[in-house]
Amino acid sequence: MPTRWWTGQEMAEAAERLVPGSVAKSTDAACYLHVEKMLEAMEALRVDPETDFLHLTNTCGVDFWDHFEVVYHVQSFDKNQFGTLKVECWERDDAVLPSVTGVWYGAWMQECETYDLFGIKFEGHPNLHRILLWEGFPGWPLRKDFLSMPGGLQPGLNEFAGTARRDAPPVVVVE
Amino acid sequence: MNALKSEPFVLNIGPQHPSTHGVFRVKVTVDGERIIDAEMVMGYLHRSMEKLAEERTYTQNIPFTDRTDYLSSMSNNLGYCLAVEKLATIEVPDRGSAIRVIMAEFQRIASHCMAAGAFTNDTGAWQTPVMWAFREREKILDLFEMTCGARLTCNYMRIGGVAFDLPKEFEPHARKLVDTLPGFVDELEGLMSENEIFLARTRGVAVVPHELAANASLAGPMLRGSGIAWDIRKADPYCGYEKYDFDIPIGYQGDSFDRFIVRLEEMRQSVKIIKQALDGLPSGPHSTQVPLALRPPKGEAYARVEGPRGELGYYLVSDEGPSPYRFHIRPPSFINLSVLKQMTVGHSVADAIVALGSVDIVVGEIDR
Repeated sequence: MPTRWWTGQEMAEAAERLVPGSVAKSTDAACYLHVEKMLEAMEALRVDPETDFLHLTNTCGVDFWDHFEVVYHVQSFDKNQFGTLKVECWERDDAVLPSVTGVWYGAWMQECETYDLFGIKFEGHPNLHRILLWEGFPGWPLRKDFLSMPGGLQPGLNEFAGTARRDAPPVVVVE
Repeated sequence: MNALKSEPFVLNIGPQHPSTHGVFRVKVTVDGERIIDAEMVMGYLHRSMEKLAEERTYTQNIPFTDRTDYLSSMSNNLGYCLAVEKLATIEVPDRGSAIRVIMAEFQRIASHCMAAGAFTNDTGAWQTPVMWAFREREKILDLFEMTCGARLTCNYMRIGGVAFDLPKEFEPHARKLVDTLPGFVDELEGLMSENEIFLARTRGVAVVPHELAANASLAGPMLRGSGIAWDIRKADPYCGYEKYDFDIPIGYQGDSFDRFIVRLEEMRQSVKIIKQALDGLPSGPHSTQVPLALRPPKGEAYARVEGPRGELGYYLVSDEGPSPYRFHIRPPSFINLSVLKQMTVGHSVADAIVALGSVDIVVGEIDR
């Protein structure tokens, strides 16, 4: 039997049942959790026999210019199901989220990576450091406004017709 | 009488050392010969692929996936193409899927040859087993060269299928190879698994209990070596894997030896899959026509394949542009390394080399 991919609404329903008030919103793709209740909800989703999401597959950040999303892909071995959780972070200069390493130990390297490339700090992480780049590297490379950061460089070549993003909103130059 | 004074000592393993399988460094703190702390230092090979991919079209990104895990480029191509196909809902013809399966399984054997060979090298079986394994890997790479012209960075899969159909001489050569491969696996297993020294070096070394394996997001032979029967090919079949008959080998102790044996058994299972795929190779087109400037609809997709090192996932976010808005790789060997400290603390430095070898890392994938 192939994996059952939970929709965001199903995830939201389960999270709301386990921890009332933990869901901010839900889309087809993912369930968005409130930052204050995310750890509680994740722990509940992990231990509940019906959801049983004991394996955090993948964690990464996405930059949407005005806010960050951190994505958590979770799955269950016994139930063979897969779900997506997301948390939004609207702070850019001092982006802080709670670390999920207490829930899924395997998140620690991926959270280091997200911190390294997006500059999102994870509170409660045992050893948060820049894992791929060196300490003191200027800027956060995977942010969309990396260009205007100190040391920011144009990725790739300039001459790919039609690939440059002209619709990007103007960015504030970071000193 | 005064006791001999001792204090902790920091020792660098790597970054340039054959046992680290690339430019990778482990800073171990030792008390005598026992390791009391291990810290990984990585990023020497960081090429910022996720950023580069945001500026290139979907098809232009395929060669990047070769260069992440350069020992299993076919599996990486496959994972990425599946993610794009999921995002843009593109159907792959049956022949294309069957060729993908054949290539991915050959790649698994080639990669496990490398892993098993290098691992025996780390345990002190100097050069003979690794050369035997390389001999077999070479034959597989010849098949790849015959098909797509490249041996390591194949760049063979395309969105919607594969780049070229199989050449005429591929099937006889592949069948001949498939017939001889199980014999080689038996030979390697006979050489190593009853060897006193090998057993002493690997049995009970770098144990990962299955609770830790699940909680630490491990995947692939690391997870199966710890006794969890989880294989994406069975759990969430892609490319028609549900049609093939194969088993998932698992270990019981979760030690280095189990992971080695799991890899050997997986090679036998891959041979089984290739045989079935060659027998049932459908005719028809090998690829569908996909627009050159592909603009998938707004949304996101996470697709995963069972790569040789574990669950290889690609997470793509599209904003209807010609290039991905976000391109993220779930690198299995990067995440498998998260338990390196638990595996090495309490063991000697020589065992740390065995632990690292049993994880089967590819630094191109860790650093990306």
